[in-house]
Amino acid sequence: MRIPLVRLGLLIAILGLWEAGARAANPLLYVPPSAAVPALRELLALRSYPDLPAHLLLTAQEIAVAYGLAVAAGLAIGFALGASRLLGRAYGPILAALYAVPAVVWYPSLMLFFGLDAASKIAFGFLLGFFPITLAVLAGIRQVSPALVTVARSFGASPVAIFGKVMIPGMLFTLVGGLRTGLALAVIGVIVGEILGSKAGLGSLINHAYGLFRIADYVALVVVTLVLIVASDALASLVERRARRWTT
Amino acid sequence: MSAPALIRVEGVSKRYRTSSGAVDALRDVSLTVRQGEFCTIIGPSGCGKSTLLGMLGGLVLPDGGCIQIEGQPVSGPDPRRTATVFQDPGLFPWRTALENIEFGLELQGVDRRRRRAVAAELLGPLGLRRFGDKYPRELSGGMRQRVAIGRALAIEAKILLMDEPFGALDEQTRVLMGEWLLDIWRRTERTVIFVTHSLHEALALSTRVVVMTARPGRIKTVLELPQPYPRAMESPELVALRAKLWSEIRDESLRAMGEA
Repeated sequence: MRIPLVRLGLLIAILGLWEAGARAANPLLYVPPSAAVPALRELLALRSYPDLPAHLLLTAQEIAVAYGLAVAAGLAIGFALGASRLLGRAYGPILAALYAVPAVVWYPSLMLFFGLDAASKIAFGFLLGFFPITLAVLAGIRQVSPALVTVARSFGASPVAIFGKVMIPGMLFTLVGGLRTGLALAVIGVIVGEILGSKAGLGSLINHAYGLFRIADYVALVVVTLVLIVASDALASLVERRARRWTT
Repeated sequence: MSAPALIRVEGVSKRYRTSSGAVDALRDVSLTVRQGEFCTIIGPSGCGKSTLLGMLGGLVLPDGGCIQIEGQPVSGPDPRRTATVFQDPGLFPWRTALENIEFGLELQGVDRRRRRAVAAELLGPLGLRRFGDKYPRELSGGMRQRVAIGRALAIEAKILLMDEPFGALDEQTRVLMGEWLLDIWRRTERTVIFVTHSLHEALALSTRVVVMTARPGRIKTVLELPQPYPRAMESPELVALRAKLWSEIRDESLRAMGEA
């Protein structure tokens, strides 16, 4: 009960500072909360950007596809590299090194390959989400105690049973952590992609508002983006808790 | 004893390749174990005791010779014949004590209610009646090992293979666990193959003690122990047996130490 109160305190403090600071400086540039709230109301009432729902839907679809592909490829490649000692040793370090490269450097070429539409955003979200998932699978496999695998073998467990009853539960914490990070990064990838260059989606609206100096609208759109991200992470943590219950 | 031979080990050898060359773990080991025996294998570190146990459990395959259980060669783990208890109990940390005990039954496709009933019935004799819902991290070392033994007992394999099951426990717990195991063994009529370093365990528990030589492991002596249970460890007979057993093992342990 006390933790939410303390959090609320921080929020109020930030809003207060923001309000005071923005008024003291330039209320047009540093839109204070008192101006952002009406803009947010306008946005949600679909007056400032009437086609907001269509843009939101597009962004959500891009995220879903990008994340779905990242999960599929991340699990497949992670387990393939984990299953073969040679492949894991050969390619694991390369993956880790690539993960350290600021992914945004790839974005221009993605736009060249995939165009200005959804495909390049999906590709970018995929690229960002893929690495943490793959690396979590590799780290998770290393975490599973070989002694437990031997125990399972001694009870006559098939490779499939060892996978499902020993490997997956044994690596679950790491795996779910990677899946969650992957989702956060896929969301970031899609929205950053939209901001950097697109004709539709939440990011394109942000770019539009900013470009036309509609700062209050821009702030309102950022708030909507924040809510989207917090909601997706909350969903992920819900799945995480479910997954833990499922393994026991 | 006229019980039929359950396990037949014939001229088995095993060689491991390591980075510093090949190591002969076992050489020409032959042994017959009858139904219902409590057969202890004792010997210096690295004498291949665990390798031999692994072969009986089908986890390690011999390079030469053959192992038969009930007249059939061992080609891999077979939970109908053998269940293994390891020194590190190897419990699944995400499963409760009951769920750990159920593991083997789950693999065999026994339905949920049946396997829960079997596991719950074992909790009493395991001394874990109030601990079925606890996770391994909430249990003491001795309790964990009893859960591991329960997991092995649940599948009702004919042979219980125990690889220094009490090696990681303190002396007192060890003695009590030995007495407890003896009780379980006599009640369930399993055949037990028990690997240990402890002279006390060997003499207090076994119907037969097999002494192995330092690497490469061979069988040095076999001691029959017809004395009834519980054994008075201070009786002149057992004290003499202990001295005999120790002199057999001492030479081998010295050799193993010199080699190390």
